[in-house]
Amino acid sequence: MGLFDFLKGSPPATRAPTGPFFDANGVPNFLHARLEEEKASKRPWVSSLTAAELGLARSHGLRMIATLTSSCWMHYGYSWTHGHAQGWQTAVKRMQAEAIALGANAVIDVRMITVKLDAEDSMDFSLVGTAVRVEGLPPSPAPAIATVPALEFVQLLEAGIIPVGIAIGACYQWAPSGFADLYMGNQLSGRWQNRPLMEVTEFWEQIRRTAHAELRRDTARQGMGVLAQMNFGQLFKIDRDKAPTDLLGRHIVLGTVVDYDKNIRPPQSIELVLDMRDNDDLVTQSEHHSTYNEGI
Amino acid sequence: MADADQISNPNASVPNSAKQRLHSLRSAAHPSAVFTSDLSVNEFLLVRKAGFEPIGLCVGSCIYHVGIQYSSWKSNQELEVLSQAMYHARELAMTRMREEAKQMGADGVVGVRLEIKHLPMEGDILEFVAIGTGIVHGEGHAGFRAHDGGPFTSDLSGQDFYTLLQSGYRPIEMVMGSCVYHIARRGFMQSMAQAGQNVELENFTQALYTARELAMERMQTEAQTAKAEGVIGTEIHEKSHRWESHVIEFFAVGTAITPLTSEIASENIPAPQFVLSVNN
Repeated sequence: MGLFDFLKGSPPATRAPTGPFFDANGVPNFLHARLEEEKASKRPWVSSLTAAELGLARSHGLRMIATLTSSCWMHYGYSWTHGHAQGWQTAVKRMQAEAIALGANAVIDVRMITVKLDAEDSMDFSLVGTAVRVEGLPPSPAPAIATVPALEFVQLLEAGIIPVGIAIGACYQWAPSGFADLYMGNQLSGRWQNRPLMEVTEFWEQIRRTAHAELRRDTARQGMGVLAQMNFGQLFKIDRDKAPTDLLGRHIVLGTVVDYDKNIRPPQSIELVLDMRDNDDLVTQSEHHSTYNEGI
Repeated sequence: MADADQISNPNASVPNSAKQRLHSLRSAAHPSAVFTSDLSVNEFLLVRKAGFEPIGLCVGSCIYHVGIQYSSWKSNQELEVLSQAMYHARELAMTRMREEAKQMGADGVVGVRLEIKHLPMEGDILEFVAIGTGIVHGEGHAGFRAHDGGPFTSDLSGQDFYTLLQSGYRPIEMVMGSCVYHIARRGFMQSMAQAGQNVELENFTQALYTARELAMERMQTEAQTAKAEGVIGTEIHEKSHRWESHVIEFFAVGTAITPLTSEIASENIPAPQFVLSVNN
């Protein structure tokens, strides 16, 4: 590369392509060529699996096809809380479309990630996972998006349980004007006493309940139940100049939807052992989206 | 009651060689066989169980001055000068490490850590370090080397390495791809028009797709060159190395693998048992 090459600008190939970015199903048009080649095993497959997970996946008849990623960058001018439901759902839909294009049966080890870039009330909802084919199974019309590490996916599969997707429940609400000052502000009578704040509790509980009800609805759409490991809630008091204090509550629950036959019990027997690992390197560590770190 | 010298479980007995070793602190049998490594005890045991011996730590480093590249405020574009710098510097560090391993006569390097450090003096000078433990096959089996006859490289731990071989695969090369990308800023008018509604910022979404794809495709090309069947342990790092706020490096790294000699039938891969560990 010459000294002044950067002044000439970029070659056109690395610029964003022209024309519509996504096709009708939500697969980026420039990805089709790669997906076709990977479907036909003309390229080395790329996976996020560890060595242990590779062994387990192969012994259970899974064939890795490709790493799939999908993104949706949302600007939440209307609602941060609802933006989450919308963002993740779009990303899941796009990933599923790519999985269909590959002829995959499932995408496993799907991780929810975000880029650390502060950009004007917006953030990205991105998924990365490994598309797999189950030997002897025709391509699925709706591949499962399994947000569990590959080891857990195989564990669930052995027990007749299939993780199929992500369910989200999100709710936010502003308290009525004057509510905060009346029930949790300085005008509160008997400030020296211990007592439950019934009104505030009720306000907050109802937000949680609504989010959970939405989670249930979203789950029912997809499978039998949800393992909702992510619970995120925030309660804000916003002081305003010469106006009543505002109170905002928001709650997000999300988890992995599972589908299974209730009559099948997990068949494995369990032994107690002394573990030789130094750390958890053999297992993929799925991390929650970094936004949720500061929740209550 | 059994004799005190006889231990009922043969696995728990101490081998004679180990007893001798305990008697004389310095072994006359291995005068030059000193090895260095950063393996843990368990890793050491498992690397040996897999039929390999550690021979020495291999290090490669590269101090690199990363050049400047200007980008248009409003466009999504790759910053090739930076992409190339980030890739080239890592490549140099890795090559040097591999060269040291080759001179030791290693068949491969396990546990490679590839790190980037900022030198305190200058913002645009970065140090890239690759460090790992060189190992040789105990019986001199040459079939574990990379496609070019040199040592394989991998970021697999001793445990991962053992497990991979048990699954019928071997590592060939640590593969990587890099793409430094500028994500366009939004104009003020555009921001105003979208106030009060939830919308997707399509430009940003497209930038993510394009940048990730470039990094992953470059990594995949490396795997193809190394004649790999697949890549495991792929991670995509997204990091801004003290660049301006809308510039992000997408870095994909993984270990390219290939079947040992012929692919093991799936039913012959040992299935792990379900256990509950009692110590952690």
